[in-house]
Amino acid sequence: MALTKENLLTLYTNLVRTRAFDRAFVRRLGEGKLLGFFHPADGGEAPGVGACSFLRNDDYVWPHIRGHGLPHMISKGVNPKYYMAEHCGRDTGLCRGMSTFHGVAPEYGIMGFAGTIGSGFPVTVGYGLAAKKNGRGQIVMSCFGDGTSNRGTFHECALMVNNWKLPVVFLCENNGLGMFVPVKDSHPVPDIADLAQGYGMPGVVVDGQDVIAVAEAVELAVERARQGKGPSMIEAKCERFCAHAVGLPDFSGAEVRTAEEIQYLRENRDPVKICRQKLLDQGVLTEQEANRIQAEADAEVEAAEKFVDESPKPALDPSIFEEMLYAR
Amino acid sequence: MAQKVYVQALAEALAEEMERDEKVFVVGEGVRSGTYGITSGLYKRFGTDRVLDTPISETGIAGAGIGAALCGYRPVVDFMQADFMFVAGDEIFLKAPQWRFLHGGKVDMPVTFLGAVGAGRMLANEHSKTPIAPLLHFPGIKVVFPSTPYDAKGLFKTAIRDNNPVFFFFHKVLLMLPGEVPDGEYTIPLGVADVKREGTDVTVVASGMMVHYALKVAAELEGQISVEVIDPRSFEPLDLDTILKSVEKTGRLVIADEDTERCGFAAELGFQVMEKAFDLLDAPIKRVCSPNYPIPGGYMEAVYLPNPAKISAAIKEVVGG
Repeated sequence: MALTKENLLTLYTNLVRTRAFDRAFVRRLGEGKLLGFFHPADGGEAPGVGACSFLRNDDYVWPHIRGHGLPHMISKGVNPKYYMAEHCGRDTGLCRGMSTFHGVAPEYGIMGFAGTIGSGFPVTVGYGLAAKKNGRGQIVMSCFGDGTSNRGTFHECALMVNNWKLPVVFLCENNGLGMFVPVKDSHPVPDIADLAQGYGMPGVVVDGQDVIAVAEAVELAVERARQGKGPSMIEAKCERFCAHAVGLPDFSGAEVRTAEEIQYLRENRDPVKICRQKLLDQGVLTEQEANRIQAEADAEVEAAEKFVDESPKPALDPSIFEEMLYAR
Repeated sequence: MAQKVYVQALAEALAEEMERDEKVFVVGEGVRSGTYGITSGLYKRFGTDRVLDTPISETGIAGAGIGAALCGYRPVVDFMQADFMFVAGDEIFLKAPQWRFLHGGKVDMPVTFLGAVGAGRMLANEHSKTPIAPLLHFPGIKVVFPSTPYDAKGLFKTAIRDNNPVFFFFHKVLLMLPGEVPDGEYTIPLGVADVKREGTDVTVVASGMMVHYALKVAAELEGQISVEVIDPRSFEPLDLDTILKSVEKTGRLVIADEDTERCGFAAELGFQVMEKAFDLLDAPIKRVCSPNYPIPGGYMEAVYLPNPAKISAAIKEVVGG
């Protein structure tokens, strides 16, 4: 399909915003303002942005762990200041400060998040059932990593969604490393998308550093799902410019990746640079507009941080626990 | 009132709830045919979109229920055996109980998990457990266990209508137990214990199969010891008030629980009674549970299980007879 100029600018803007928030999260963790841990999206922003920028509000998304779902949630329309507030333990956070790192925004089809890798697959079967039963053409974008695909939950759920032709799109963000373990040591064949064939769904591989390529592949899969033709799988081969989580050594197998290696990736495989250059070359974007988009993203982060820092902590009163535990 | 058997009461409850609310559907392995008869034939009435047969995929099935519930449906997830919940441990012990809580109360999860519990059929450790305590250890999921056909129907309907995850147990030895079940609509609230027999000398708190054993013993001891039998019917929420009121009258407590003794419901209830009503007790509390071993199969099962003789001995001990 042909992405319009507006579509292309949306992709670029969401990439830039994701990068800006991702960096702010890393910085704030170092400053002691962001709570818990953080697994940055740094270098792997494009799959989530390409997959979620053009979905409907009522489509369901299971975000991937990278950036704790920032690429996915920002692109789906969630205002990231409320997620930052959650991650900073504030009462204004998406979960009222109850979760540290879970995103929830039912009005945008984000029904929650989880901490055990691969536990999204079973839940998204349920989203798919609901989407199909609703009969309004909703789809489910199920985002996960190469490491996540190792879980047996993938198999169970790939069976179920294909048996029932549920409107699910599997987006595998393969950055080559499952935490510390290189994909070649955890998956016996080069392409994870080859799994798709065994379940009778299409599986394609795209360059996950090229947000436009991701968006085009996703568009076809989404259309197929909306038409009731069933699930598809897209493997976006992407990169990780950082360690698995902030503060961990950047192992690949038993060796730590070198600064030169990362420098090379940053210079040659940066999804923001790649998109920017493409749009400049196509005349869709000017240097001036690019600078404006960057400045707006920086301003958005600054405003979000102000909002978060001025937000109250929840009343530190355990009586709220009873209210949270059960619905009436 | 009509006489119906326990499994019939459960089947009626499910069909009535599916009729009443189109958001209710059933998902599980072999639910069109039905393993215990609860879901058998429902697909003819409600279609295969609402009676979904699955691959052998407990994790996926549990997740399907959780996810659809988050999106506004009321799934009944048929685990067949409650023991199989352990295959879906992440979903049952972490996801279902924590979801609403961790997400700041923004989303509800009205899902009912259904599973057969109990020993007595020589099926050994993976088809015989009564896993009450494992669930209670993860606050956020309700746990219901009827002992009669009347309770089975009324509680099952309430569980399906509840806006929270509920694990609904039924005892596989009680399936053909007959009892009075009215034809019309009725529900029984969760968290309301039922006094199955009134007595004045000792309170026996029992659930599932243990209720019937306790009633048998109470009848045998009539004239010597007056036994009050209380069935909590749900462990979460738990009707502690009814139990304490009974202990206030009897001063003595025996807890019969088919689950493993160690860290079990009996231990929990015993401690709660001690905390809240130590002064009411005239004797130490006794518990009659499954001993701290895996459940054996074959003839060894009978040696292992709590039974009327063990309950009777415990009663006599606390009464000081």
